Amino acid sequence: MSEGSFLRVRAIAKKEVVEFTRDWRTIIAIIVIPLLMFPLLFILFPVLLESETAELDALELSIVIQTDGLPDNLGENISLNSMDFTIELLPNLTHLSEPGDDLERVRSSSTDAILRFESNDDVWSYAILHLSTSERSNEARNRLLSTLSEWESSEIRERIVQGGMDVNATLDPLRWDGDISDADVATTGEQSGMILSMFIPLVLAIWTYSSAIQPSIDMTAGERERGTLEALLCLPCTRMELLLGKWFAVATITGVGVLLQIFGLLFAIGYLASSSTFLGVPQLSILSIGLIILSIMLFAVMVVAFELALAMRSHSVKEAGSILAPALMLILFPALFTQVINLDGIEGFWFAIPVVNILLALRELLMNRVITEHVLIWALSSVVYASLAAYYASRQFNREDIVTSLS
Amino acid sequence: MPKTLLSIQGVSKNFDEIEALCEINLDIHSGEIVGLVGSNGAGKTTLLRLMAGVYKPTSGTVNLSNGKPVTSMRHELGVVPESTGLYSRLTAWENIRYHSRMHGISDSVSWARTEKFAEHLDMKDSLSRHTKGFSRGMKQKTALLRALAHGPNILLLDEPTAGLDITSARTVRALVRQLRDEGGTVIYSTHQLAEAEQVCDRIVIIHNGEIRADGSPTILLENTGTDSLEEAYVSLTLDQARTRKEDNARESAFTGWWRRLFTPRTPTTTREVIEDE
Repeated sequence: MSEGSFLRVRAIAKKEVVEFTRDWRTIIAIIVIPLLMFPLLFILFPVLLESETAELDALELSIVIQTDGLPDNLGENISLNSMDFTIELLPNLTHLSEPGDDLERVRSSSTDAILRFESNDDVWSYAILHLSTSERSNEARNRLLSTLSEWESSEIRERIVQGGMDVNATLDPLRWDGDISDADVATTGEQSGMILSMFIPLVLAIWTYSSAIQPSIDMTAGERERGTLEALLCLPCTRMELLLGKWFAVATITGVGVLLQIFGLLFAIGYLASSSTFLGVPQLSILSIGLIILSIMLFAVMVVAFELALAMRSHSVKEAGSILAPALMLILFPALFTQVINLDGIEGFWFAIPVVNILLALRELLMNRVITEHVLIWALSSVVYASLAAYYASRQFNREDIVTSLS
Repeated sequence: MPKTLLSIQGVSKNFDEIEALCEINLDIHSGEIVGLVGSNGAGKTTLLRLMAGVYKPTSGTVNLSNGKPVTSMRHELGVVPESTGLYSRLTAWENIRYHSRMHGISDSVSWARTEKFAEHLDMKDSLSRHTKGFSRGMKQKTALLRALAHGPNILLLDEPTAGLDITSARTVRALVRQLRDEGGTVIYSTHQLAEAEQVCDRIVIIHNGEIRADGSPTILLENTGTDSLEEAYVSLTLDQARTRKEDNARESAFTGWWRRLFTPRTPTTTREVIEDE
């Protein structure tokens, strides 16, 4: 590339980035959202979840118990679990779980749940009528199930003792000796790498694609629609320089978004790891880190070129949007599929399938597995796919009709 | 005899089945203002795009006098497209500077030229403003400044006074004449005959993709035996003008069919209109 050509490509890329970032909505889309998404999801969401759980725990529930004789200790346990109850006679039904005349009482929430409890000599039968769409009713059911389970356990223990047997030996004849986590020979770093390998490739694939949609459209179909492309095509720059300049701009914007999102993800994981014994910092070799960067770059070259090409084919922003948005499926399905592929003894051809190859490579590399055969296959196939995408994009940029718009 | 800058020989341009231009032969000479006059869809913009190297001819050649293709002289070209092509999130000066940088012109040289012409166009105070809020006239003037900032030898202006108020249009026309007087060459597309008569040394009448006349206003009157350019134009373009179709030319057959499928029939009587309501 000559100096003049380099300067023109730089001028195009710089102008595109400057123009794109002058819209505050863009800053939110490419900086704020990627940065905050995972911290909000991993830190704030559990906090919200905890507060909701605490709120449910604090609920005083009102239930009805229909029985022909409730054991005293069971009634006490139910009261201890913050449930007020009234006792009624059992209705005459074939099965206890039939709602019968009580259907409307539960549906109208006049009671949170109805426990039916029937004694048959030494065994009891029970059913809980509840409304699964009501949080109070679900909570009442859960508390009743938990109370009944505890009561059943104590009943079992009592019967074992009455039978003259040892409770522990009867209920727990096979036991793990020692700490379960001690028996895993994988290091904490390796375990963390495995956990991250389930997140990061997926995030990278989807975010790289989706964050490139808006700038790709704006810089191609947008220019075409606004009529700015014609003036640009009259300038002494080649279409390839134009493509390169725009590619650098989209790649920069997308790269910033993806990096910030990974930073946010690592921050959130770091926060969780500080209060966790099983999550730590992944152990990666320099080679793995280098190959991770290479794979991301190749993926970005391919995805951005592909999106620029599709957007440039479109006559308007609307048309480009309706092509690029559904095309996300081309990334999403392979990305989801890749998550379930077993990496142990995986065949080499998987590393030659577009999109799948890079995502599998990332999974392996995040687990610090550098397998030369796999690296060669994904690197070469990715270079081929990235080149094809770039060639396709250059063909679109060389089309004569890119100057016209249907809008 | 003025020097030939640009030579268009036997040029035709097709967009699929539509023939936008047919066998165009035209020489552009140094230091003249050539007016391309024609109705909407006549082929003026297509011809300008061919001259700018945005389009390639289907047949024929658009070359410089030395035989080189027109794309090799883009650095000598200043273009104001019909749409002005300004970036709304950039200031007027940033728009101008961007194009100058693409021409390889330093910011200081570009600024000096811009300042000079901006004063002439009463735009100096607006150079630091974002073009988003600009009126049509200000956009046209900014596009003109952008086209002039790198010191081009040839200016291609597509409807440069469209949408301008009388004063702004006068200023633009005066500037065009000044540029010609300073040795520049201007190709000026318009559908306003009166404007072409005021500004241009030579008028090329294009109709339905063909050149119907080429010469000074006096020669056009002589050749057509009419008293005014308007009459001359009418006598040269008696066949019905076609509609502008170039932009729709590349719509796929399926896309067109799908669009038509959801397009109701246009009512033909008042009764049908009322029934549609």
